Amino acid sequence: MFHSMHRSTLPVVASLLAGTAIMSSQAFAQSGMNTTSLQSEVVLDGLENPWDMAFLDDGTMLFTEKCKGLSVRMPDGSVNALYGVGETEGYADNGSDLFCEGQAGMMGVAFDPDFSNNRRIYVYSTSNMSDPHTNRLMRFTVNDDFTGVADRTDIVDDVPYKMAASNHPFGGPGAHNGGRVRFGPDGALWLTTGDTHNGEVPQSPTMMGSKVIRIDTDGNAHPDNSPPEGFDTRTYTYGHRNVQGIAFHPETGQAITAEHGPWHSDEITILQNGGNAGWDPRPNMAGREDCPDNYCGYSPNQEEGMNRYERAAYMPMTDFDTYPDAMPPIWNNNGWSQGTSSAAFLAGDAWGDWDGAMVVGIMGIGFGGTPIGQRIDVIQFNDDNTDVEDVTEMTLPMEPGRFRSVVMGPDGSLYTAIDEGTIYKLTPGS
Amino acid sequence: MSSKIILSAPLVLWGLAAFAEGETPDASASETPATATASQDVDLAAAEQIFKKSCRACHGNKAQGAASYPKLSDKEPDYLAEKLERYRAGEKFGPNSILMIQNAKKLSDADIANLSVYIATAFD
Repeated sequence: MFHSMHRSTLPVVASLLAGTAIMSSQAFAQSGMNTTSLQSEVVLDGLENPWDMAFLDDGTMLFTEKCKGLSVRMPDGSVNALYGVGETEGYADNGSDLFCEGQAGMMGVAFDPDFSNNRRIYVYSTSNMSDPHTNRLMRFTVNDDFTGVADRTDIVDDVPYKMAASNHPFGGPGAHNGGRVRFGPDGALWLTTGDTHNGEVPQSPTMMGSKVIRIDTDGNAHPDNSPPEGFDTRTYTYGHRNVQGIAFHPETGQAITAEHGPWHSDEITILQNGGNAGWDPRPNMAGREDCPDNYCGYSPNQEEGMNRYERAAYMPMTDFDTYPDAMPPIWNNNGWSQGTSSAAFLAGDAWGDWDGAMVVGIMGIGFGGTPIGQRIDVIQFNDDNTDVEDVTEMTLPMEPGRFRSVVMGPDGSLYTAIDEGTIYKLTPGS
Repeated sequence: MSSKIILSAPLVLWGLAAFAEGETPDASASETPATATASQDVDLAAAEQIFKKSCRACHGNKAQGAASYPKLSDKEPDYLAEKLERYRAGEKFGPNSILMIQNAKKLSDADIANLSVYIATAFD
């Protein structure tokens, strides 16, 4: 971004002017004839923490901003602000109960597969309608000209929310909400949730944090879900930490999660119906003693950096000793945690060898000697689609950022949102 | 890629600190490293290196704030220097103190002075 290489002594005012000019470059392309030759285009800029996008075939794009609300970008490029968080101004309507705090706010969004007939969309957001507050999955209908939404129905209203600060890194209220909303190839609606820094949540049969939820569009459990006896039947899998990525393999149809690790071990996992992801950060078990505020998620040393494998031995992301039948991750980011957030599958001949490969957005972290790692990884599976065969870092034609969301567009391009406020379109070169 | 621009911060900057978010500077704030070096050259190239390595991944490439990490580009140098000095001393305030303490503890007085001016001015 900073291309100036001259050396001088100038007043600060001059630096402001130089900075403005330097920042003006937004999009540029790489040369080459392979799948790393991507072109980038800024679709929207100046957003406030864009979190997720969803597309119709004609390019209509819903997008959320964590503290502002739900909007739609029409195929002609115009944007309509549909449903605001709290009292945010400029929206056609507002959810007065919606709010943002820390990591919480408006997150995932999806179009109904039958949208052309039922005009339904689904949005996940934090709400103060209940006390303690919760995260809710809301269903709306969109009017014909995409200028407003109506018929809000909260089809899930009980995903836990972290109400109070705790003695942990990132310890403010609102931590670990999961947040991705997707329809699977089975037509079911899937929602990912997080552990809210609460040691009891991940293995709880009834608290709906740390779960991958599979339901119908009224919020009812999918009839084929098979969690252990006593579990809420909306549960497809449990024992997760904070799932922000879920995508469905184009050949097998299996749900695959990308999950943010606890200062070690980001994970990709092929989900098994009723499976346990093996995250259990409770104190006084599995060789652990007391932990700060009864949550061992950053133990044994949450104050400073330490070897990631020592961390993993003490507080494993997937605890096979306690849960031998836990779902095994197929990728653990070489033992690092760098903010793995979202997942999608590339589709289309233009992607060449990457057609059908998974992409994972990684936000980056700067702590304790961990390489920052802001990037999009391309994950290629083996012939049986049971394991990772190869991982390639996507060569990006723009500055990296906090890649919160990766979504395939109907035009064959990959769209990605970064927390810094931009939605990019990445298109394979030719 | 790194900027080689080295600027001299005018003294007038130090008289304009706004102390955002309602925080009132204590007596020690007026003796922050940034203030102490106000009359010296500020090495923005060195600050940029630190920013890219230690700040950008959370606070954003333009210090515009991202996720739960606050915006910094609208703060005054004195404000930023005071906060960095408190974090360097191991003081906990705010939800991400553990992260900030680890990043700040390796900063020198000059680093804090440089960073404070860089962040407050580079992204306007």
